[in-house]
Amino acid sequence: MASTDEEIEVRAPGLAVDFLDVSKEYIVNGKPIKALSSITLNVKEGEVAAIVGPSGAGKTTVLNIIAGLEKPSQGEARVLGLDVNASNEHSLSAFRSANIGFIFQSYNLVSTLTAEENVELMMELAGWSDSGRNEKLTEELISMVGLTDRAKHLPAQLSGGEQQRVAIARAIANDPPLILADEPTGNLDQKTGLEIVKLLARLKGEKGKTLVVTTHDDRIVEMADVIFHLENGSLGSIDRPARVRN
Amino acid sequence: MEVWGALIGPLGFATKSLRRRGFHSYLAFLGLTLTVATTTFLLLLGQDLATRLGDDSSMRSTFGISWLIFAYLVLALGLIGIVGLLSTSYLVSSMISQRMRDIGVIKAAGALPRRLLSYVTFEALLVIVSSCLVGALSALLAYTSWSWPSISLFKQVGPIANAGATILIVVPMISFLLAYMVASVRVRRIVGSSSVNAISKQLANLDLKSLGKPLRIGRFGSTFNLATRNVSRDRGFNKTLLSMGVCICLSMIVLSGALVSADTSASYVVRAMPPHVLIVANSNIYNQYVSLATSFSRIAPLPPIDYGNESYIISPQNASAFRAIPGVQTVDTRLITMSSITGYVKAHFASNQDTGENINTQIIPEVDTGSINALIVGINATSAIGDWYTSDGFLQSSDAHYTMIAGDSLVGNIVQTPFNLSQVSALGYRYDVKSALVDPLNAGRVLYTPVETLQKSLGLNGFNVLLLKVNSDPTVLSAVSQLANSFGLAVGSQDPILNSNLTFLNGIWSHIFLVPIITLALTCGILLSYLATNFSRRFNDYVILKVLGANAWYRLSLLTWEAWGVLAISMLIAIPLAWGISIFFLVPDPNLSLGDLELSTLVSLSALSVVSLASATIYSRRLGLTTVKDLTP
Repeated sequence: MASTDEEIEVRAPGLAVDFLDVSKEYIVNGKPIKALSSITLNVKEGEVAAIVGPSGAGKTTVLNIIAGLEKPSQGEARVLGLDVNASNEHSLSAFRSANIGFIFQSYNLVSTLTAEENVELMMELAGWSDSGRNEKLTEELISMVGLTDRAKHLPAQLSGGEQQRVAIARAIANDPPLILADEPTGNLDQKTGLEIVKLLARLKGEKGKTLVVTTHDDRIVEMADVIFHLENGSLGSIDRPARVRN
Repeated sequence: MEVWGALIGPLGFATKSLRRRGFHSYLAFLGLTLTVATTTFLLLLGQDLATRLGDDSSMRSTFGISWLIFAYLVLALGLIGIVGLLSTSYLVSSMISQRMRDIGVIKAAGALPRRLLSYVTFEALLVIVSSCLVGALSALLAYTSWSWPSISLFKQVGPIANAGATILIVVPMISFLLAYMVASVRVRRIVGSSSVNAISKQLANLDLKSLGKPLRIGRFGSTFNLATRNVSRDRGFNKTLLSMGVCICLSMIVLSGALVSADTSASYVVRAMPPHVLIVANSNIYNQYVSLATSFSRIAPLPPIDYGNESYIISPQNASAFRAIPGVQTVDTRLITMSSITGYVKAHFASNQDTGENINTQIIPEVDTGSINALIVGINATSAIGDWYTSDGFLQSSDAHYTMIAGDSLVGNIVQTPFNLSQVSALGYRYDVKSALVDPLNAGRVLYTPVETLQKSLGLNGFNVLLLKVNSDPTVLSAVSQLANSFGLAVGSQDPILNSNLTFLNGIWSHIFLVPIITLALTCGILLSYLATNFSRRFNDYVILKVLGANAWYRLSLLTWEAWGVLAISMLIAIPLAWGISIFFLVPDPNLSLGDLELSTLVSLSALSVVSLASATIYSRRLGLTTVKDLTP
């Protein structure tokens, strides 16, 4: 894990994500809307967790709480040992930039930066100031996702699959222990989606990262160590595939 | 609402689009309205000040100083007009650019270019027309509610002048025409370009030439690097920089020009009436001289007086006695009289050979240019106290006896240019006019001639006014007073007269300073529009950074660099240019005060920096309220 000035060393051993009775409520037009209701789940370090369910089930809300982008209305959420509820905006930002990698369905690359600059930016956000090292590492990551010849292109000049590969390289640029992916293959065709799935598998296999992925893609679900089924904001079931149980 | 909803065609499209785009439509309308209102109000205010000054100049001030103020106002109004037009053009261009993607989508959906053109142009027209109308009305309201009676130095307080009515119609009309032209050209260009380019808004807005340089952490850190990329990769950056640079430069010329002109006009007065000067004369002449010297700033009838009365004359021996007092540096011996003078342009040859035609020399006969009462001052050229601003120098001991230097208020009517053809008839003699000077004495209706010549004309041997340049030692005054009393003469300092004249001049400038201040406000408005447009356009990128872990300080720092960076570059271009123009081209023989230039720069920089920082802070706070849900695909 990359160190920051606000590094929190209170991690519960073995658990990357630990939700206890977590609920989330939004006020829309003055009326409360329940997005999550008493969810208890945990993801061990090094695991791939898939969160599945229909649209509106609360998958993205779970991901946002893990990232510290939103706080639970009730319950306790600990991520890599950090109590999300008890942390302020500043420490959550520092925690996120050092410990969490993001992969979005819509890629969300910074439009004015090239592929390699988007990757390097993450290192700067994490406070890595050795520009020579950053450049070298960026080159390696861009090469890993197979975009060496597209490194100096802007997001608008790249295809959807290429943009998602940049997003993956960016997600691991600061070497975070936890990667969050929100329907990473949702906007891609079968073939391109498969390439992304393979890359995600490499993150687990070669880099030993913990992955929490919301998805409808069976290929990702098959890859998962634990599957959380969400429905209407509630946790329906938790599956652990036989290969994991064995 | 249903009535509008049911409408089809350009009007329905435009009203729905404007209503649904809410904040952006409002911003475009507000920016354009403020520009039209401010430009129109400033031009109304400027022409009003200039008109009132023109009406008043025959009574007070001097022609030279009024001309300087008038020239400044004309220049300022011209520059304000340019700033207003630039701002209008920039705002309309930005407004249309924001519609680029929608235009591309509608075109890709199969809309005929002509129909698309009419729909989008009509939408722009609605904003432009309403902005021009509301802007003109706001300007009129601001102008009529202005508290004119408080400007006591202007004698005329009246309704809006004809020129004002013209401005009120012409400025919004020109703004409308320009805005319509810019909108038409921009829309035609977008409609004419590929739909793919228009739809891919990001790509269309980015400059691809500067890609490929590594993102190195430099001296100013990560946010500076990122801001540099964001700004420099904006395709419209150069155009923005040019527009901002020109607007800032012009507003700085208006501001520093006002400061330089104000100081220069004050320096003309100080040069003519320097401090630490004592006036010595018979009490009647003394009072008359004080009235003459303050006629620049006060309307008071001059009582008739016999300037040549024997009892008022100070003999050369008595005048010399003052030179012997320690602390008296110079004794300026003067003989003054009021007389009717007549101006002439001498008979002379004129040829058209300069035009390249056949030489056809002809004699132009002498022309009488009219008569007026003027103060004639006989003066010793070598001991004159005063360093007047002159067109061709002051009297020299080598000058012919019948030579005169004309006060600036006589120039242009009694005294014509070129001066070598101009003559003045006074006290039965003809004098050649050598030069003109700016002089508050008798509000510039004054003529200087060698004292011996005037003594000869009046048949007098002596002086009726002595000006003594003294040092700052207070004992000098008592020594001078003692000697003056022994000769039956009155003594007084010229300093209160100088202060009174300077206060009057400052009063005029304090009202005129409203023009540069509002011009600066207009430039701040342009900067604000630019920043709002660009921050809104890149807002999604900022949200991504927040989601990725950029903290509040990082976000504020990035936005500040982006906002202030553009301002800094624009000012780097604008400041030297504005200084150069203000120093070298604005006023003759300027009084250069580094403090003036620093002040104008500091004021501009502070005002614009406040706008930049405020915009960055507001957007940073707005960014703090966003969540990952605010990210747009």
